Amino acid sequence: MIRRIWRVLPGPLGIRITQAVVLTAVLLVVLHFFYDWLGTVLLDQGGTVG
Amino acid sequence: MTDAQVAPEVETEALAAASTRGLRVLHNLGWTLIYLGVFTLGFVVHQLFVTSWFAQQNQSELALERLEQWEETEISEVVVVPSQTGSDGPGGSGGGSGDGSGGNGGATIDDSEPLILRVESPPDLGAAFALIRIPKLERLEEGWNVVEGVRTVDLRTGAGHMPDTALPGQPGNAVISGHRTTWGQPFHELDALDPGDRIEVDTALGTHIYAVREIRVVKPTDVWVADPREGAWLTLTTCHPKFSARQRLVVAAELVFGPNHDVIEVMS
Repeated sequence: MIRRIWRVLPGPLGIRITQAVVLTAVLLVVLHFFYDWLGTVLLDQGGTVG
Repeated sequence: MTDAQVAPEVETEALAAASTRGLRVLHNLGWTLIYLGVFTLGFVVHQLFVTSWFAQQNQSELALERLEQWEETEISEVVVVPSQTGSDGPGGSGGGSGDGSGGNGGATIDDSEPLILRVESPPDLGAAFALIRIPKLERLEEGWNVVEGVRTVDLRTGAGHMPDTALPGQPGNAVISGHRTTWGQPFHELDALDPGDRIEVDTALGTHIYAVREIRVVKPTDVWVADPREGAWLTLTTCHPKFSARQRLVVAAELVFGPNHDVIEVMS
């Protein structure tokens, strides 16, 4: 899948690398928030009562 | 070419097609499992290490913020007359001192002598104002900063003091909540505490020392654990069991030493 996405990216190598870096950063940020939400729901709500 | 010769070729092609389809399904299933594994591993790494890294960074900043907060904290002295404390509490201090005691000597405090309760100004929501230390627990040996508030954002930076409960070192019940398995895991080993163990809380007033009295597991909706209590209490709450938000572990500790200890003891 990663190779497929790489092939789909348009432009010369430099542009493609930049796009790949931006896409990875966006993916990591989205994952961070998703993991955070999942962790709060499943693992640890901070111990508050009420 | 006869029908008998054609049939095996068609059959072979069909088998080959089916085999290719089966392989593709297996291939896709394999990759799906790999992605799921990476996703799950990422979740574990994020929860255990990434959140804790963020929490550690926040703690470094909070330590400085707390020292600034202590400098800005206004400390007032409330006069408490023992004979009136039963109905008035710390806020209802009387001005009359009634000093005709005659002196009773010994270690006990004269009932008619006015007592001074030192009260600090309430911190702003989100502000670091205290440091909690539990010598028995390795994670809290050096201390963990406490912020005002128990919003999600507060608990990511430090342990959170529940607003509208007493401040540590003051009469009543000071409630502090903290994460158990994520965001620095300040209360990870809280279940290792036993009755009698010491909990220290530093505030602008000084160091307040509590002794653990009760340890219990309750439901997350059991808000009564935050109810006011007679004397000065510290209640620590965290998720229970580890890696689950199903219940709450509650540790209640009583003030045994501190700037206000003697006054509170007489008041109660």
